[in-house]
Amino acid sequence: MITFENIRHRFLAIDSLVIPPGITSVIGPNGSGKSTLLKLCAGIAEPDCGTVLVDGKSPRETEVGYVNEFPDRNILFSTVKDELASPLRFRHTPCRETDMTIRACAETMGISRLLDRTMQDLSGGEKVLVALATACITRPQVLVLDEYDSHLDVDRCEWLNPVLRASGAGYVIRCTQQMETAAVGDQLIYLEKGRVVHTGTPAGVFARLCDSPFYPLSWRWPI
Amino acid sequence: MRLALDHLTASHPFWSLAANGVFSPGVHLVSGDVGSGKSTLSLMMAGLLKPESGTVIREDIPRTLLSFQFPEFHITGLSVAEECRSWDLDPDAVIRAAGLDVTRKTPTHSLSRGELKRLHLACVLSREYDLLLLDEPFSSLDCPGKEWVCRQLSNRAGGITVIFTHEQSIFPRIDHIWEIIGGNLVDCGEMPGALVRWQHAPVLVKNLINAGRIPLALTPEGIREAACRTRG
Repeated sequence: MITFENIRHRFLAIDSLVIPPGITSVIGPNGSGKSTLLKLCAGIAEPDCGTVLVDGKSPRETEVGYVNEFPDRNILFSTVKDELASPLRFRHTPCRETDMTIRACAETMGISRLLDRTMQDLSGGEKVLVALATACITRPQVLVLDEYDSHLDVDRCEWLNPVLRASGAGYVIRCTQQMETAAVGDQLIYLEKGRVVHTGTPAGVFARLCDSPFYPLSWRWPI
Repeated sequence: MRLALDHLTASHPFWSLAANGVFSPGVHLVSGDVGSGKSTLSLMMAGLLKPESGTVIREDIPRTLLSFQFPEFHITGLSVAEECRSWDLDPDAVIRAAGLDVTRKTPTHSLSRGELKRLHLACVLSREYDLLLLDEPFSSLDCPGKEWVCRQLSNRAGGITVIFTHEQSIFPRIDHIWEIIGGNLVDCGEMPGALVRWQHAPVLVKNLINAGRIPLALTPEGIREAACRTRG
């Protein structure tokens, strides 16, 4: 479990929150604290007070893959191949193993055709796909994805769902503004003004949002 | 007023794009897969990128604006107030229009991406353009934010608006649909007839068409009307 206890961080205030394993979607209005919550899960930020634990350990003692909501802020290197290789090279993985892992990961993520490209040549969606593959390449225990789908088409998002499930990550925490995507996760958290307002299964949370614009369109009018 | 793409081509070692067509006043929707060339097409239509061959003809279009898909690319002010003033706009009016919980002094780099997108679009939509090109205007916006942008776009008095997007749920009033397939810009035609030819149509729209109820509009009201017809 990922547990939040007595968290106060910037304007985020969470007395208690438990995130079970699986795919958890985080939704809510712009500026409600979704990215801040995700940064705490990833260990990128440490709370001003309170504790966040991943299976009893600090996120910073946990293997985490992270995709920033600003696609360009994920980029460290000029080529796709170097970008994908970076998490492996930082841990001194042998060259041959690195090369094999890059190719296997690129194939799994459907980006083999991008391997010989430079990062600046990529479209917004392609940059996000490379960032996602880079986050997954070491098979982290926790995968934190901040609006990774905002530049992807719906077919690619649907295609990625089983890929994320097969990524080896025990926890996938993703923030999205696509309610159809949020509807197919295992858990859903709805934030408003820095507070967790609803948490539970997508069906349970959306039932409490049925009069709001956040309710999935395909659920409102099932054809 | 019209924008014509006359045998426009752009190529790259890894992909190519060919576009031909006329964009008349109204709201146009351009869809396509990731990396299909939507942003490249928007740059060429804005006159910011020279096509490899062919020409972009602008008739009676003195004022053009291209809104990039990454709102961070537009930011020139360190604070919200500076950013609004760079557009020659009153910061308080923009903050109200964007529905942001920020002050004039809030640093722009401290905003979330969704807040930044709201700020940017509030600036864009506070002014009038003859040609308004919006690359992924809905990305990072929450659902109420998407509805707000749609209302603004649906109410635009005139001009040509072209929306390049992956959005599948919330749309403004759309008059004409285009899509990029296999490196070609395909003209699906005017609404609502365009819907049956639109390969990138949202699943809900495809389901409605398959049920024999073609929505007259892509707006939430249009979808609701078609869905209720289906049930009836």
